Parts: sequence; C-alpha cells; structure tokens
Amino acid sequence: MATTKPDVGALVEQMPETDRELQSKQPPEPDKPDQPRRPRRLDSFGEASKFTGPDPKAAEKIFAEIVAGGRDSILELIGLARDPSDADFKNYKAGYVLHGVALYVGRSENDRQRRLFAETLASQLSSEKLSKAVKGFLIRELQVAGGKEVAETLGRHLQDDELCEYVVQALIAIREGAGVQLRRGLEGATGKNRVTIIQALGVVRDTESAGALQRALSASDSDVRIAAACALGNIGDSGSVVALIKAADEAKGWEGIQNTKACLVLAERLLAAGKKADANRIYTHLRDSRTEAGERYVREAAEKALSGDQ
Amino acid sequence: MRTNPRPVTRRSFLKGSLGAVGAFTIVPRHVLGGAGFTPPSESVGGALIGVGGRGPGTFNEMRELNPVKLAQCDVKWLDRADNKTLYTDFRRVLERKDIDVVAIGTPPHWHALISIAAMEAGKDVLSEKPMTRFIAEGRAVAEAEKRYGRIFQVGTFGRFGASRDRNHILTRKIMKSGLLKNCPAVHLHRGGFKVKEWSGLVNAKPQPVPKNLDWDLYVGPSPMKPYHPHRFGGTHRGYWDYEGGGLGDMGQHFLDPFTWIYGKDDTAPVEIEPHAPPAHHDACGMWGWVELKYADGLTLVLESGEWGERYNRKQSRGVTLNDLSEEDRRKVSEMPDPEPLRTFAEAVRTRKPAGGNAEAAHRTASLMHLANIAIRVGRRIRFDPVREVIVGDEEANRLVNQPMRAPWHL
Repeated sequence: MATTKPDVGALVEQMPETDRELQSKQPPEPDKPDQPRRPRRLDSFGEASKFTGPDPKAAEKIFAEIVAGGRDSILELIGLARDPSDADFKNYKAGYVLHGVALYVGRSENDRQRRLFAETLASQLSSEKLSKAVKGFLIRELQVAGGKEVAETLGRHLQDDELCEYVVQALIAIREGAGVQLRRGLEGATGKNRVTIIQALGVVRDTESAGALQRALSASDSDVRIAAACALGNIGDSGSVVALIKAADEAKGWEGIQNTKACLVLAERLLAAGKKADANRIYTHLRDSRTEAGERYVREAAEKALSGDQ
Repeated sequence: MRTNPRPVTRRSFLKGSLGAVGAFTIVPRHVLGGAGFTPPSESVGGALIGVGGRGPGTFNEMRELNPVKLAQCDVKWLDRADNKTLYTDFRRVLERKDIDVVAIGTPPHWHALISIAAMEAGKDVLSEKPMTRFIAEGRAVAEAEKRYGRIFQVGTFGRFGASRDRNHILTRKIMKSGLLKNCPAVHLHRGGFKVKEWSGLVNAKPQPVPKNLDWDLYVGPSPMKPYHPHRFGGTHRGYWDYEGGGLGDMGQHFLDPFTWIYGKDDTAPVEIEPHAPPAHHDACGMWGWVELKYADGLTLVLESGEWGERYNRKQSRGVTLNDLSEEDRRKVSEMPDPEPLRTFAEAVRTRKPAGGNAEAAHRTASLMHLANIAIRVGRRIRFDPVREVIVGDEEANRLVNQPMRAPWHL
C-alpha cells in the first residue's frame, strides 16, 4: 500500500511546541527585559511543560501521510519515539504522533491500516535498539489499537517482569485470543506476574483455566489466592461453588471479605446463566453461616438474593 | 467546593437535637446496623481514606452522624503509620469492625475501588467527586451498593439545591412525564473547567520517589509510571491515569444538578461529538467543546472557552409547559412533586438511597467520561445507555472499561 515514503522526522517536528517553549519565545515582559516569559505555576516542576495541541485537520493530514508510507514509515516513527526517562529523549512529539496514528487507524473503516500498524508495533517488541520504557509505550499503544493479530506476539513477553503488566492489560483490551496466551503465560509465571495473569484470566472469563485457578486457591501467597477467588467468581463456573465457599469460610480479614465477594459474584453469574440451584447453594450457605453481628450485611445480602430481590 | 445543601454544624446539630428531645443524642450504632443489632458502642465509627486536599472536608460532610474518626489513611505516611489510628493501606482500615462510615478523599483513580471495598466490608461511603475514573467503575459501585445494601453518596451536592427550586421541579416533571416526545432543550455549560490548569506535563523526567510515599500503592489500579511530583498532590488531575483533566475535576459539580433536573439519573447520552485537538496518550490536554445528545433530543453542551472555535450549533434553552399541548400541561400539573432528596445522614439512618446515590452519581460521572472518551479518540461516538458500551468504535469502547493493574480489580 505504500507508494511514497514521507519524511517522518519532518512531519513529527510540525507538531506544536509546548506552552513553556512557546512562552519562552515571546518578547520579554516590559519590566523584565532580560527574562523570557515562563508559566509561573510550573516552576516547581523544572523544565517540564504542557502540550498545546495542533490543529485537528493538520494533525490528521500528518497521520494519514505516515500511514500512507506503510510499514517503513511506521518503523521510522517508532525509531524516533523516546520516553522522557531515556537519555536521548528530545521532545514529546514522536510519541504523540505515534499515539495519533494509533487513533487514526482505529477508525472503523481502516482495519487494514490498523492491522499493519499493530503488527509493525508488535514486531519491535523484541528489538534490542528500543528501551524497555519505549517497549512499554508500544504495548500501551497496542492496548489502544491492537487486535487478535498481535495476541500471540504479546504473549511471548508475559514472562518479562518489566513488561508483563502492560502485556496483560493489552491482552485484556484485545480480548480475542487473550485466554490462550494468558493460560500459557500462567505456566511459568511467579510472584506479581502470576497474580496479574490470574486476575486477567478472570477478567476475560476464561473457563478453561478454572482448574488451574482452583488449585491456586491454596497457594502460599494471599494475593494469588485472592486473585484466583476473584477470577473464579467472575468466570461463573458451577464447578467452583464448593471451592469458593471453602475459601470464603477459611479466610480472615481482607481475604475473607474478598473471597465472600467472589462467592456473591459467582452466585450472580450462575443466576444469570439460569443455574438457580447452584446460586442458591451459595446464598443459603452465606445466610446460614454469617451469624456474627459484623457479618450481618452479608447475611442480609444473601437473604435478599434468596427472596428474589436482586 | 460545594458543600452539603443542609449544612448542619456541630453546634446547630446539638442545638437541634436538644430542641427535639431535650438531651443530646449520639446516633447509636444499632440505628446504622438496623433493628436487632447490638451495638458495641454508642458512637459511629468513622474513617478517612486519603487525607490531603478535600479529605478533611469530605469527612466533615458526614458530620450529621457525629462520627468518631477512628482511623486515617494515606499513602504518604510510610514514615508515621502505626496501623492503629494512622495507616497507609486502606485494606487494614476496612478490616476493622468498629468502623461504620468511610469518607474517601483520595485521587479519583481510587474512588471506585475503595468505595466498593468499603461496601464489601459493610461500611457506608461518602466519596469525594468525581465518583469514578471510567464508566465501568461506576456500574461496579452501583452493583456493590445494591448487592450489600449499603449507602453511597458522592461528595457534590448541587442537585439538592436544584431539587428545591420550583422551576427545576417543573422541568423534571415535564421530562419525567414522558409527554415530551422530542425534547428541544439545550443545556450549555461554558467555562470553569480549568482545562489548561489541569493539563499534564508531556516531557517530565522521572524523579526519585519520596521516602514517605508508597508509590506502588498510590498508582494502584492505574498503569505503573515512574514517579514525578506533578503526578501527585492535586496536579494528578492532568493525567488520564488518575483523573480526567479539568473536565473530570469540575464536571461532576456542574452536571450533578443537570441530571436531576432533566431526569437523567438512569440513562446516558447516545451521541457525543467533540471539538478538540488529538489527545495526548498520557497527559490530559486542551479541548474546545463537546456536544452530548440524549435519545429524546435533549442536548448537553460542555464548552471550555479555552481552546478553538466557540460552539455555535444551537442556542441554550430549557423546556417549559408551552412545549406541551393543553391536555399534557394539565397532566403535568397534576403530577406529585418528586420526593425530597435524602442527605447521607438521612440515608444512613433510614437505609434508603441518598440523593447522590451510586446510580445517579454514576450517570452524572458518565457524562464527563463520555465527553473525555470522545476527546481522547477525537471523533463522534455512539453510546448504548442500557448496555453501557460504545457502539461501532472498538478503540473508544476500550476506554469504557479499562484494565486494572493487579491485584486491584472491580
């Protein structure tokens, strides 16, 4: 689709300067002829500044030119992008344009362009030239514009401690094809990555992971146990009723509160799926077991649900 | 900052109580728990989570209940938290059985999660505005309120004053009557959004995290980004990760009366169109205006007055009885006035929804979120108010329900 390769660098630099840069170019105030104007409220934040926003039509023309340049132009744009934490960070413009292109190709009539953009971004996640901060930014842009075509590539980075969270959030946003990647990722995941992936399996309601999640209810890490209970509640599988009730009964404090919630969410999912007997099993148990004064509200919630007042 | 429409100072509360019953009465805890509840004490246990900025003011909005502040929590207290009265982790506060009511004064990316967690722990909640950071959070708060039978009130009260104004009551009746088939009203709110003031920085280099700050807990459900002081302490409003710019900051104040007056506490606009430059991925920035249309024709226009051309599509106008036929006017005049809105304290005592309950506050917050989504994607979007999804625009729809960083979840 690419016919003419635009000068991506020159296009990027057409974006307007920040407020501080613009103000510094204004003529000095009459009573302070030696000092450029500066926004006073930002003084405590060093040289950092706010972007002023280009003309929408002019910006869209730039995005369109870059997309028309095809994969090579997108690669060139990625090559210009830097995170403020990178030593060679110059300005906000390349990252801003890259995000603008992500939105431009996301318009519903542009799916071919969107796929090309997403696949090009994903292809750079293994590049040794880009910093982790820039890769994180690319993954966040895939959260914006990526589709199932990049799910597998994203899944390869689930074991990266610095990128795992961003990858998972992108997979959740993409949804299609996320479950299989998350399941694979769970196999080798430890620590915070494991919690992150377990939680995501619940968000995408991956029924095939129910067995692994039930086993995670007895993990030594309470964050893992809570995430597993939450995920099982959200998935809404009848086979989790006994395990979740047990988890809610045994846990104390915050974990007990969260596991009880997981039971109630599971019951709601089961009711919505027409599995009233399974749902009522949970409600009846909570009604009969939450007898302490401090648990009255849980008992009442169960009673209300059993009375059909949902 | 607007305050409770029925301000009851401690002095006036005491005076009123004395006048009514001849003796000072603290609201007994069993009143909160309902009949048959044996109170461990005669006081209402309160907690404040997020003590900076509006935190103390938000706690003070519960003063009619005379709460005893048993716990305060803030992520910037790593150097002073004792886990007895001062905390950094709100989970430890919510585990306490002696706390009945919770005021939330954190930045908005925590409002929904702490509200939900507090209700899951059996507490009633008064949360500072804006209620939420994105639309699905509001639905989750409303579900939690219903699931646990708890009281929720958002910390803005403009609708209370509006609900006592005869003209506004008439407008609400006309709208609620269903007799107006094609609503000609255009509500235009111009200015006051502090758009530039609450914009983010686009070239801020990371800085070391202050020793007293739990940055991981501050970031919470939002994407992890390196620390910079502009992302914290008020100026956080300038970042999509934590709020939604000036629109997020001021929108719930401005629109809280609107949703009540026009009877839109249970629905949302169906078409939203922005006039704004392409948005930055991290920092909230400039916008000119956003036009939001409801299915019945009602138009809401938010105009910043800080960027671009002025809105000139429609003139501002309300609805009057003249918009109805003679017969329909008679029907409206026979309608009863709406029920008075309950304050947070009245709601806690009666166990009936507060005036700014979760569903109503969610629908008000959704207006800002929809406007911000349109600004962020830079194009007209269509919304389904029943399913609460954006139709035909996957990128925009991804902003309705944003993934959260584990272990935080709705």
